[in-house]
Amino acid sequence: MPRLSRRLAPVVGLVLVAFFVVLAVSKPRGEADVASPLIGNPAPAVQSTLVGGGDFDLSRRKGSWVVLNFFNSTCVPCRNEHPELVAFDEEQAGLDDGAELFTVVNDDTDEAVSAFFAEKGGEWNKIRDPDGTIAVAFGVAKVPETWVIDPSGFVRMRVAGEVTNSFLSGRIAAMREMIDGAGS
Amino acid sequence: MNRLKGRLTWVAMAVLTVGLLAFGATRSSGPSTQEERIDAISKRLACPTCNGESIYVSRASAAESIRNEIARQVAAGQRGDNEIVAYIESRFPGSLLLPPAEGVDSLVWVLPVVALVCGFGGLVVVFRRWQREGEARANPGDADIVAAALREHDDPTDGL
Repeated sequence: MPRLSRRLAPVVGLVLVAFFVVLAVSKPRGEADVASPLIGNPAPAVQSTLVGGGDFDLSRRKGSWVVLNFFNSTCVPCRNEHPELVAFDEEQAGLDDGAELFTVVNDDTDEAVSAFFAEKGGEWNKIRDPDGTIAVAFGVAKVPETWVIDPSGFVRMRVAGEVTNSFLSGRIAAMREMIDGAGS
Repeated sequence: MNRLKGRLTWVAMAVLTVGLLAFGATRSSGPSTQEERIDAISKRLACPTCNGESIYVSRASAAESIRNEIARQVAAGQRGDNEIVAYIESRFPGSLLLPPAEGVDSLVWVLPVVALVCGFGGLVVVFRRWQREGEARANPGDADIVAAALREHDDPTDGL
């Protein structure tokens, strides 16, 4: 029996060392694209109304980069990322062909959303999704999620969780260059 | 003759079992109303934000949205149940609670039946073998014992 433990000891030690090496070198989870069968395909049809009045039809936004941010005013990560989205919107507004940002309201009331934006800022349009049709069409189960749609109406990126202005702006600039480069 | 009869009984039982299984697996006793269709589809899909709950059971916001979408598609009448399930699965990969009975996935349904039939067949073979091995065969010593007993029976006064 002691002989067996002597033989097993190095094996157990090696397994433990390997475990700690994997832990040490594995990439921490941060902003990253998330796979979706929609990436590279035409975006689902989105037709709804806006908080505060007006209609929204995604197909009429062709020609612009569109960013859809699925949001709920009580969700903590949504509240955390909000200043980044405000910065992103301001930065894009200063560009000739800046992206258009839209909030998709997920399981929330007009009053709560309006109160949140009145307090925290953000002048972009908020799309109603009262029965979750838009969320299901994009496969969004948890908020926040951010989707990028190119000027041709194709889905280019999905980010689950909080985003930052630098990440979003950087990725859109890179995609814009890639598409413009391919077109010229 | 008896042996042949026994075998025929087994064959009849096997045919009946397979027939009933095939009937049960293929018969279409689908839901008739829209509400029943929505419930049946909801029971086949897992809630994407809860552990092990179906869309039918869960009260989570995502589950409610998916139920609404199922209801909308059922009401539109443009897609069959399997197509609606496939649509939801394409948006929420891994949401199937039961594997489909098509293609390689159908092995999940077929293999247990095959294992059951094989196990049953194996038991029959083993029991038959045990029966054959356990059959008593008379040896010459047994014949002497029987003869002595018969003699005793024929002459009960013998020995008085």
